[in-house]
Amino acid sequence: MWSDTLLIVFISVCTAFLGEGLTWLLVYRTEKYQKLKGEVERQSKKLERRKEIHGDSLDKSHKKKIERDEEKLKNNNRDLSLVKMKSMFATGFAFTALLSMFNSIFDGRIVARLPFVPISWIQGLSHRNLPGDDYSECSFIFLYILCTMSIRQNIQKLLGFAPSRAASKQAGGLFGPAPGQFK
Amino acid sequence: MSTRTNTIERNGNVGQSSTNSIWKRAITPKAEWPDKDEFLDVVYWARQVLGIFLGIIWGVVPLKGFIGLLLFAGISCGIVYIYSLSFQSIDEEAYGGAWELMKEGFMTSFAGFLVTWIIFYSGLHFDSSLHLK
Repeated sequence: MWSDTLLIVFISVCTAFLGEGLTWLLVYRTEKYQKLKGEVERQSKKLERRKEIHGDSLDKSHKKKIERDEEKLKNNNRDLSLVKMKSMFATGFAFTALLSMFNSIFDGRIVARLPFVPISWIQGLSHRNLPGDDYSECSFIFLYILCTMSIRQNIQKLLGFAPSRAASKQAGGLFGPAPGQFK
Repeated sequence: MSTRTNTIERNGNVGQSSTNSIWKRAITPKAEWPDKDEFLDVVYWARQVLGIFLGIIWGVVPLKGFIGLLLFAGISCGIVYIYSLSFQSIDEEAYGGAWELMKEGFMTSFAGFLVTWIIFYSGLHFDSSLHLK
């Protein structure tokens, strides 16, 4: 069981680096992305500061300025996600192929035992393609997703590719803090 | 990366020892945190380490069931709360309330915790039964 689980962790580390490498090649190193990212971060901080200072004020001119900044930021965020789109498609295709390959390798194989029985709507994932009704048995895909959730975001943060907190906060849920986490 | 940029913006120079100074401040009670991101980074990484550490312990013991999940959430949030508000005495309002601090890095550390818990639990207590399958 050690061998399967550690192999999945290894696969997850490799795919995380592969994904980030591909994104770096297609997006992060481009001048357009760097310029937009810098702009979004600068604007997010400016907007945050402005909201902190004038957030409660009823002054119309301040409110207007805040709204104008928000609009600008929204446009830049949209441009940024358009730039990212290219790599999202490339990594999407690569990962779909890789995932189906790993799925067929680990098909019907119990890779681990869960120390808890997952709630019903997760059981479809944690017991995917496994025979029997013992829901504490864990399939490849469940462990792989958990590994990716933790490893990919930490790698992004370590390499400095994760969006800054100010940008994530201002972008809200639409462009959440960890885009492409499950790719 | 953002941390470094902020440091450059505020101080006008890049200190090579900036990471060292952050960790030194992290273990100093009531330290000054002029850059909020630096403090949140400390909370984030400390949480990741804590998640893996608790995952290993839960797996070795072994703890089973939802009590393990609840215990992890409680300990993780409790430690962050005590560390931030009692040890570092930060102004929670400056960070958008205690809830923002509780959320910082929680999901990532939860995933890391689950992975280590599952791996150690399976590896130490179920190795033989699997080969029969």
